[in-house]
Amino acid sequence: MKKLLPLLTALVMFILLPQFGAHAQTEDQCISCHASMDDKPSAAFRSDVHRSAGLSCADCHGGDRRSDDMEIAMNKNKGFVGVPKGNAIAETCGKCHDDEERMRKAGFKGETGQLKALRASAHSFGTKATDALIMQCTNCHGAHGVRRHDDPESPVSPLRVVGLCSSCHSNPDYMRRFNPALATDQLAKYRTSVHGMKNGAGDTRVATCADCHTGHSIRPAEETTSSVNAFNIPTTCGRCHSDADRMKPYGIPTTQLAEYKSSVHGKALLEKHDASAPSCNDCHGNHGAAPPNVESISNVCGTCHALNAELFRQSRHKVEFDRMGKPECETCHGNHGVQPATQAMFSFDRDGVCGKCHGPDRAPVGYKTALKMRSMLDSLVGTIAMAERRIDEAEQKGMEVDDIRFALRDANQARLQSRTAVHAFNLEEFSKVLDPGLRIATTSLSDANAANEEYVYRRVGLAVVTLIITLTIVLLFFFIRHIEKKQAAV
Amino acid sequence: MKSIRTALSGWVEERVDLSGVKEFIQHKSVPKNRHSVWYYFGGVTLFLFIVQVISGILLLFYYRPGADTAFESIRFLMTKVQFGWLMRSVHSWSANLMVLAAAVHMFSVYLTKAYRKPREVTWVSGMLLFFLSLAFGFSGYLLPWNELAFFATKVGTDIAGSVPLVGEPIMQLLRGGPDVGGATLSRFFGFHVALFPAIFTVLLTIHLLLVQKQGMSSPIGAAEHGEEKSMPFFPNFVLRDLLLWLIVLNILAILAVFFPWELGVKADPFAPAPAGILPEWYFLFMFQILKLLPAHIWFIEGEVFGILFFGVAGLLWVLVPFWDRASQRGQNNRLITYLGIFVIVFILFFTILGWVM
Repeated sequence: MKKLLPLLTALVMFILLPQFGAHAQTEDQCISCHASMDDKPSAAFRSDVHRSAGLSCADCHGGDRRSDDMEIAMNKNKGFVGVPKGNAIAETCGKCHDDEERMRKAGFKGETGQLKALRASAHSFGTKATDALIMQCTNCHGAHGVRRHDDPESPVSPLRVVGLCSSCHSNPDYMRRFNPALATDQLAKYRTSVHGMKNGAGDTRVATCADCHTGHSIRPAEETTSSVNAFNIPTTCGRCHSDADRMKPYGIPTTQLAEYKSSVHGKALLEKHDASAPSCNDCHGNHGAAPPNVESISNVCGTCHALNAELFRQSRHKVEFDRMGKPECETCHGNHGVQPATQAMFSFDRDGVCGKCHGPDRAPVGYKTALKMRSMLDSLVGTIAMAERRIDEAEQKGMEVDDIRFALRDANQARLQSRTAVHAFNLEEFSKVLDPGLRIATTSLSDANAANEEYVYRRVGLAVVTLIITLTIVLLFFFIRHIEKKQAAV
Repeated sequence: MKSIRTALSGWVEERVDLSGVKEFIQHKSVPKNRHSVWYYFGGVTLFLFIVQVISGILLLFYYRPGADTAFESIRFLMTKVQFGWLMRSVHSWSANLMVLAAAVHMFSVYLTKAYRKPREVTWVSGMLLFFLSLAFGFSGYLLPWNELAFFATKVGTDIAGSVPLVGEPIMQLLRGGPDVGGATLSRFFGFHVALFPAIFTVLLTIHLLLVQKQGMSSPIGAAEHGEEKSMPFFPNFVLRDLLLWLIVLNILAILAVFFPWELGVKADPFAPAPAGILPEWYFLFMFQILKLLPAHIWFIEGEVFGILFFGVAGLLWVLVPFWDRASQRGQNNRLITYLGIFVIVFILFFTILGWVM
């Protein structure tokens, strides 16, 4: 038996040797060889997400992974390309990452089409394959130690991505080469924001650069396809801020987007596509996003509503609101759900705002002033509406009313200005704006009434003239008959 | 009353010998036949021309030509001037009715072959007056300087510009430059209130003198049909004319009050042409045909072909007294009648088509 053992071993070895040989042939010789050289790329590749997915060096660099002969393994005839340069880097990644079918077959469930998105992004000089890319995939993800984006070691992980982006975007010398007008203080501002402070404290759920700007489809904010374009910002912010589960740990409401959409600002921006209407970032800031403080609200609103803010600051309400710790504009107008200002705000019922603080027995001077202002506004609005109705009536009758309609525009202008003047909360100042408007509206109404009366006058005048002419025709007819009868008799 | 009239007549006759005129009026008669009704349309056209002159002079008191003042002055006239709206409305309606009355008059003369010897010159002068009426309409349409008029003038002068050889200079002459603008408005105003009225007055005088001298034409074969009756020109025909004028005045007043002519929007040369630009209704059939013509007919452009066709057809129409030999001989030329009916149906068809499309 002892004699047979070496023989049997030799037999088994003989039978298995080819398999052993074949196995030795399929082993990744790139890794083996480069690891033996102790080089950095092969060391980094050990923890690369691609290696765990079964990819080899040759999948990116080409060549023959099975050969341990460098001449064969790194032979150009075997497709060896060496280190890809320029766009070839992104194209190498894109071979797989832009091929959704291939990625799904490999069991990848995440986003695909990154190269296509990169080409269309601000990090590319154009969308064609021949256009140079400013950024290659490796600039952000690394080359050989690529990790999942939620891996804390990944340079694009929530806690590291801000530093990664700012390595270029906070460098004025570097950014000047591409866009000298672009600010480079994003990181500094971000660190002052609620997002930035929490991110700095290790919170991975708060917004970072890629959450708002996207990972690969980054476009300048002024372009409508950008996720941070004014028209898209409410949706971008709302993606997190309307998510009750996501916001739960922070204890903040999630109704902002819905309220904004129903507001005068939201309707102007999202329904009327008025680019001058404010989006989230216009009040909260963008990289330095934070809720405005109580005392700074009028400054924030005042960036657009400058006159209103100026009058408010000089008014008695400013002093009182500050004393009571009430947010300035927000106390009367609300915040995300700001509704169009109407004279109903002066009422003392559920729709009114003055009644919150004023009443016949509570701060009565303000109560009386509000009542008087309401009465004056009602008078102006009512007169304008009546004049418009009468102008329309006259126009439908074919009367020329362009002049009256034109004049009425000044009354409407006064109505709009009165909305500003009201922020002085001073009856005398309010009258200076409103009274001329009321005079114009009254004159326009009177002119419109005159036009309607003129229409009646014309009809009556026509009836009289037609009657006279018809009578003359009849008389003439009989006169002709009379003459011709006489002529026939002769 | 009678003594005053006699005294007044005596006073005039001592200074001017009116016996010839009196004699002429007393003995002038108008043929009385089944086509007599058409005789009145010349008078109606004349009446509307008089209305045009009076209302036009009144408009002139307020109208200020110029790209910056024309529209505003008309708006001022319509809103602030007492009865200004009525004058403008009457002037606009009367212009349209005048073209209509002139067209009826022309076709009635054509179909009754009243152009035959010795009335060839009367016909030609009448045709020239008709063309001049259209030119009055075209030039007057621009004067309020509103959007529709501006673009219609642009299209109209473009068409004139496509006439071979002389088109371009004619377009430049009409526009006073390469485009329709303030210079065009000044020119059209000059044409409308000075040049055209002067020519019109001369032609109208010739036309009326010839009508008075030659009298109304009796239709061919009226004698054979026993229709050789007549009525005194004065007072019978004149009073009937007056009766019709009063009816037309009544229609004019109703149209002017019930359908006042709108002013529209001020012309903006930099604005895009609004949809539905149409010329005045009397140019609509030509406009529609030019639109429907293919891009090329044989070797010439469709539009040029159309313009040449209208030019040749118009010339043949004007010269009908000289080539309609049968009517000259007193024979009833049915070909001419059928041609006239065809032309009327053709114009009506394409006018309606242009309006509907």
